[in-house]
Amino acid sequence: MRLPESQVAVLNAASATDERTIAQLAEATDLKPETVTGAVFDLRDDGLVTVTETVEEDVELTDEGVEYADDGLPEIRLYRAAMDVGGGDAVQMGQVIGASSLGGPQVDIALSNFARKGYGHIDSGELVPDADADPDADGEAAALSALAAGETVDTDVLDQLESRKLVVRHERTIRAVTLTDEGVTALMEGVETAETVDRLTPEMLTSGEWEDVEFTEYNVEADAPEVRGGKKHILRQTADRVKDVLVGMGFSEMEGPHADADFWINDCLFMPQDHPARTHWDRFALDVPPMEDIPEDLIDRVRSSHLNGVGDDGDGYHSPWSEDFARAVALRGHTTSLSMRYLSGHEVGELEPPQRYFSVEKVYRNDTLDPTHLLEFYQIEGWVMAEDLSVRDLMGTFEEFYSHFGITDIQFKPHYNPYTEPSFELFGRHPETNELIEIGNSGMFREEVLRPLGVECDVMAWGLALERLLMLMYGFDDIRDVHGTLCDLDLLRETEVLR
Amino acid sequence: MPVVDVQPDELRRLTGHEEKSDEEFKDDLFALGLEFEGVTEDGAFQLEFGPDRLDRLSVEGVARSLRYQYGDARGVTVPKTNDPDWTIVVDESVPEERPYVTGAVVRGVDLDEAALDSLIQLQEKLHATMGRKRAKGAIGIHDLTMLKGDVLSEQSTGNAITYTGIEPDGDTFVALDSNEELTPAEVLEQHDTGRKYADLVSEYERYPAIYDEIGLFSFPPVINGRRTEVTTDSRELFVELTGTDQWTIDRMCNIICYALAARGATIEEVEVEYEGGTVVRPDFEVETKHVSHDRIETVLGVDLEMDGVIDLFERSGLDADAELGDETVYEVSIPPYRVDVLHPLDLVDDVGRAYGFNELEPRYPDVGTVGQRHERSRLEDAARTALVGLGFEDLLNFHMISEEENYERMDIEPGSDVLGGGEPTSITEPYSEDYTMLRSWVLPSLTMVLENNTHRAYPQDLAEIGHVAHRDDDENTRVSEARHVAAVLARHDATYEDAKARLATLCNDFGVELETPATEHPSFIPGRTASVVIDGEEVGIVGELYPKVIVEHDLELPVAAFEFDLAALQ
Repeated sequence: MRLPESQVAVLNAASATDERTIAQLAEATDLKPETVTGAVFDLRDDGLVTVTETVEEDVELTDEGVEYADDGLPEIRLYRAAMDVGGGDAVQMGQVIGASSLGGPQVDIALSNFARKGYGHIDSGELVPDADADPDADGEAAALSALAAGETVDTDVLDQLESRKLVVRHERTIRAVTLTDEGVTALMEGVETAETVDRLTPEMLTSGEWEDVEFTEYNVEADAPEVRGGKKHILRQTADRVKDVLVGMGFSEMEGPHADADFWINDCLFMPQDHPARTHWDRFALDVPPMEDIPEDLIDRVRSSHLNGVGDDGDGYHSPWSEDFARAVALRGHTTSLSMRYLSGHEVGELEPPQRYFSVEKVYRNDTLDPTHLLEFYQIEGWVMAEDLSVRDLMGTFEEFYSHFGITDIQFKPHYNPYTEPSFELFGRHPETNELIEIGNSGMFREEVLRPLGVECDVMAWGLALERLLMLMYGFDDIRDVHGTLCDLDLLRETEVLR
Repeated sequence: MPVVDVQPDELRRLTGHEEKSDEEFKDDLFALGLEFEGVTEDGAFQLEFGPDRLDRLSVEGVARSLRYQYGDARGVTVPKTNDPDWTIVVDESVPEERPYVTGAVVRGVDLDEAALDSLIQLQEKLHATMGRKRAKGAIGIHDLTMLKGDVLSEQSTGNAITYTGIEPDGDTFVALDSNEELTPAEVLEQHDTGRKYADLVSEYERYPAIYDEIGLFSFPPVINGRRTEVTTDSRELFVELTGTDQWTIDRMCNIICYALAARGATIEEVEVEYEGGTVVRPDFEVETKHVSHDRIETVLGVDLEMDGVIDLFERSGLDADAELGDETVYEVSIPPYRVDVLHPLDLVDDVGRAYGFNELEPRYPDVGTVGQRHERSRLEDAARTALVGLGFEDLLNFHMISEEENYERMDIEPGSDVLGGGEPTSITEPYSEDYTMLRSWVLPSLTMVLENNTHRAYPQDLAEIGHVAHRDDDENTRVSEARHVAAVLARHDATYEDAKARLATLCNDFGVELETPATEHPSFIPGRTASVVIDGEEVGIVGELYPKVIVEHDLELPVAAFEFDLAALQ
């Protein structure tokens, strides 16, 4: 049998016939008592020793107890002084106290115990000692002396001393160890010391050697060297979270070109061609020929929508509409271009209500670069197509969406967009700062948008910058640190993952 | 979004609510959709709002909306107008690019400083919005008493001014803020305002000009003459607007007339004599649109009483008559200052605002659909997860880049037959030399990240799955777009093998067959470069970056890299 070194030592020091205490074993093995205790328990678990536990009481004199053991109990000193002064007659209290050289609280202690223990009585300021009393036979004094000498005393008198706070009592467990038959057998068959090892090796595992080794202890609290693994980009994590929520709410993801005709980006959206957002200042036009393949009937319907409006009472914009401009290709300023493509039936065929679609993809806008604005950012875009949707449905949908990000108390501020009516800016309470913050733009697509696309029912839509959600939810203050070639690798490496 | 400066004292006076505190006004204005943005130096509120209600571009319009909100005014009101005394004759030589004109005479104006400031602000704000920076419509306001009208004919007792076109140097006048007699062409070169708006007319063969009997007094859309300048002493005004669309300038004119009428002025019509016929302006005709009770209830999601709906219309400054039939339909009258009502649904929005959208109880729509990710996005996500598992830091870079970064610094040529060598998708008018095209491959972005992070700990194993594009006229959008998987391993002992090992694992994860026949690419070391061939198709490149490219990016250690089309993992 192979056992760890400490267990081998304890086993050898133990006896089958005599109980050995932990303290004795520690002395015999030259190990620390804690180590011996640990080894003893392991040996007992292996059935090699038995352990008996007895509770012993330690009695310790208090400081006051030690003082009285040395100087005598105050009541005895008082009695002896009274006998010395009066020889058994009544004596003046002051005189006795002076003679006894008791002081402070000891006087009261002496007086209260003097009568209780029959050393005499007190009468009109005079102390009357009982000449027959025998201070040398005082049980408490004897017990004090015995305790001071390390001897044991009777429980009754111990209780008395404890009540006078002259002693304190502690309990402690004494463990005594005896070898079992198995222990004796093991010793007779021979117990070897197992080696301690640093590393567990493949050889130890295959040979079974691991059973006989003891592993050296590590400082498990010490710092470990830094390890770097890969991590999904924080903005991708945020996008994943948004996609999870939307898919859970029944939305399907859209996909489509980043470079697209203005027709899909703006004209379908009923954005007048002379709208300020469509000037060359806000738009990234591409130096490529115009798009040729756009359904002609759709172009006609969109043109008519712009020029004449939709329905008997509809009016168009009083703005020119040029097909050339509509066919010009640019980088999309919003992913609503995808919504237009899907709603038109161009992407996945004619859509019958109900439908829910979303996209979390990049859009391009010529904005001033600053900590919160980039030329490219991710737009969360979503829409619901159904018969007879109301503003209340829109509100309920957004409350649900934002609640997944801890944003509550959604407020709907009436707003204007050329492509939705009614339109709302969405505000919500920041989960940490409790501030009212803008969290999106929404509305019901206008009939001027839907009818040319061939959609006869209602569609409600909303949009929001993903970066805005990231910054609001996770406290980034400069988006350039994470998005783009100026990103800081340390920041990316240290960024917490989203839960 | 437009911002209008409004003096709270003026607001108190014009609404008749002297008791309202500034704070109360702010709340009331927010409810209207006018957001308090701050205060100007002279104490005016700066109010921002959506560009639909352009009739609120002055304190008079804001006050009118408040009066409806407070219930002090109801329904549609139209200012009384007097019969025309003045005519605007449109000459046949008027520039064909800017053929339309409208106007009004305004009498009995009491212009104190505040009122004059407000008028000037309204003019400027209308220019900036509806007027599309004066291109679509430009307003000129003149002191009527300084004009001397031509007598039109023997039958007519009235006066006339003429809207015409002249040669760029065909006449001279003294423009506002100037002391010199200048020709219109000289104004465009020498006068501050002239230079600012020169682009609007410089291509015209003939410049727009307005004459009275005395001579040229206005050069729209650029600047008025000094002779007719409006001051606080002006009591009678001539308002003219020229532009490219009659409706637009008529509505701009209406907004100005309503603002002046709100200060007690009287509006007098003018005749506009086009070659094809004469029209009388301003056009205060009240238009109507029809909307059903049912549609209003559906959009708002609440049940409403008919009387209640009519009340909400009137509180919005509209009038409504119910037409009972199979379904109740309202004929809604719309005042002539409204420029935002294109469709009956715009009227439902007004009802909703008057009702209070925030009074509506949200409800989750009872509509069942099944959601799913797009195939492409799932694939991209799976590949990204695999790369992260291989220890790569996932990066996110811009799609826009410069030609220098995309080609030159990687030592490749545009239009060459190598990965990344596609023709550039160029931005027509780039605003920054750093962003002139869409990147045609991802490795330039990753190399730039390495370049910007030389002070950070190595190894730097970076990956990105991202959008790339190059010009391709065969595509409908003229742009070929794809997603590429790219990775760099920047470490002191990086080799081809490190890159290939990870590439192989990735391919293995996706169950595709990888071959790496030797190839050449200017960005990579010859003899240590291979094509990425997946399932028999050449889709990318793997190798060690060429030292010239490494040094160009200020790096001091080897870089192994690969890039290929994500679609190959499908």
